[in-house]
Amino acid sequence: MSTAATVRRPRVRMILTAVLAVALIAAPLALPAFANQTLIRIGVYAVAVLGLNIVMGYTGQVNLGQIFFVGLGAYVTAYGVNHGWNILLVFFAACAVAGLVGLLVALAAARLGGLAIAMVTIALPIVGVPLAKRLSDFTGGSQGTSARFTDAPDWSGLDNDQWQFYIVLVVSAAAFLLARSLVRGKYGRAFAAVRENEAVAASMGISPYRTKVLAFTIASIFGGASGFLYLAAVQYTSPETLSFGHSISLLAAMVIGGAGSIAGSLLGGAYYVFVPQLTNAIDPNLTTVSQGAILLAVLFLLPGGLVSLPRVVRRLTRRSATRRSTARPAAETSQQTPPAQHPVPDAAPEGPEQTERQDGP
Amino acid sequence: MGTFIQLVVDGLATGSIYAALALAIVLVNQATGLINFAQGGMAVLSAYIAYVFVQLGLPLLLAIIISVVLSFLFGALVERFLLRRFERGDPDTAVVVTIGLLTLVTGISAVLWGYNNLAFPSLFPLTSVEILGAVVSVRSLATAVTIVVIMVVLQLLFLRTKLGLALRAVADNPASAAFSGLPVGRLLMVGWGLAATLGAIAGVLVAPQLTLTPGMLDTALVYALAAVILGGLSSPIGCVVAASAIGVLENLVAVYIPLIGHDLKIAVPFALIFVILIIRPQGLFGRKVVVRV
Repeated sequence: MSTAATVRRPRVRMILTAVLAVALIAAPLALPAFANQTLIRIGVYAVAVLGLNIVMGYTGQVNLGQIFFVGLGAYVTAYGVNHGWNILLVFFAACAVAGLVGLLVALAAARLGGLAIAMVTIALPIVGVPLAKRLSDFTGGSQGTSARFTDAPDWSGLDNDQWQFYIVLVVSAAAFLLARSLVRGKYGRAFAAVRENEAVAASMGISPYRTKVLAFTIASIFGGASGFLYLAAVQYTSPETLSFGHSISLLAAMVIGGAGSIAGSLLGGAYYVFVPQLTNAIDPNLTTVSQGAILLAVLFLLPGGLVSLPRVVRRLTRRSATRRSTARPAAETSQQTPPAQHPVPDAAPEGPEQTERQDGP
Repeated sequence: MGTFIQLVVDGLATGSIYAALALAIVLVNQATGLINFAQGGMAVLSAYIAYVFVQLGLPLLLAIIISVVLSFLFGALVERFLLRRFERGDPDTAVVVTIGLLTLVTGISAVLWGYNNLAFPSLFPLTSVEILGAVVSVRSLATAVTIVVIMVVLQLLFLRTKLGLALRAVADNPASAAFSGLPVGRLLMVGWGLAATLGAIAGVLVAPQLTLTPGMLDTALVYALAAVILGGLSSPIGCVVAASAIGVLENLVAVYIPLIGHDLKIAVPFALIFVILIIRPQGLFGRKVVVRV
């Protein structure tokens, strides 16, 4: 029970992070190619979900067009690679083009209050697919376009999937660290203020319009980066990449993983990759219906998404624990009573750290 | 000239389908303050239900009526058991709920009937008549007329009946409506049911033309949302005018501006929205006033 409290201690946390980092760096060398490819795709979509989370989870603006920016990033990457650009330039172009288009869309869409952003952004994938088919000089039309640039170089001695894993790992780790700093800092507080109450935000000198445009643009840049990674992993893109259904799936993944949570974005990426794999194995027709059912179930039972599952479980177990010890109603309000702490082998030392009861919602 | 008139009439016919969906969206929004993204998906489900009854050997009209009644019940049940919990909360969460509903309903259609296009019989004959030198299909005309009739009926329901008054009262102020003894919950169910009914009619009218697939109305939903944005969420007439205008305009643009053509005509209403919003953000509301006059 007190593992969660232990994790919050800075030193434990640092060690855990280091272990995780070593595990991630070592994983591709040990895992089979298929597992690597699955992890790569989780990284790709986690970045897209992360972008969506910034505009939707943190700023509260429903965005149904995130996949459009993923597709745009992928197309720009393919174009750049096929024209022999430097790979870093390609990456920045993918982010910049997606960000610029996102900025233009947001400048118009954010003028409409409330739900209208959702109603405008739903058009992006619906317009995007015929547009991608039409601009065949740039996109390769319905056949799509492919670009190989992530074959492992000879000096590295790695397989292609291992090399791709490291590319995705570096970019997505950077994206997650950037997003984490963003939502914890000044802009993150502005996002939260706009999400909670636009009038209050405005009265504190935060322009809701500018904040929304900023969040949307950042989300688009993350989408572009995700598109770059998509092409690095799949090496092929077509209009199908940015279809409406995928956009809905991305949104479902964000909510199921956990809206307004960085770790939830990673879970969302995992959901996006795993669940269709699972349902496709059973019956491809079940993919859509299971997604709808899971999304609604999460909204009903677990509004915070999968990331809030440990907290909910802890609350439920604690509630049943207090019910058992009704003889001591004082335990309800006071701090954790000593008998409950005894069974824990690595009991926390005395100090200002939070107890479970305090960090619960 | 003949082509032009034909394009306009065809545009009005497709526009009336968008108008029906847009009206359903406005109806739900007026009653509950939500945007129901599942409106199109629910309409497709209604069309499939009518299809099943046709396959069972029932006459088409009877099948449609059964499907419309079932859709009313389905809409009411969805409101009661799915949306009720989210109506008073964060509207963004409620929107995600309707998107989940869209996915679920589309998925159910796909599981039960598959993704293959199914031929849906037309309620109206496939013959065409000549008006002012344009060959216009009876189906297009009849579709447009049906939607207009429904619109008038709806308007009468809202303005001339006690039920309509109660619905408007609940939409306007649920708390006061409850204090004056109106069954708010039941009226919200009726509002959702009526919206589902409208969607069902749009679904069965458009199904012969588009052929039945689970994603049949995804595009129409996008047009309907564009019409709602242009016409204003609070103005049913504005929505109908905007939807018809979009239907006509996209047809004309597709034929007369080859750069856009038939594949990109869906970008037209949104290009329009973007231009209006960037140049004149108040343009929307200005339009709305004009429409109301």
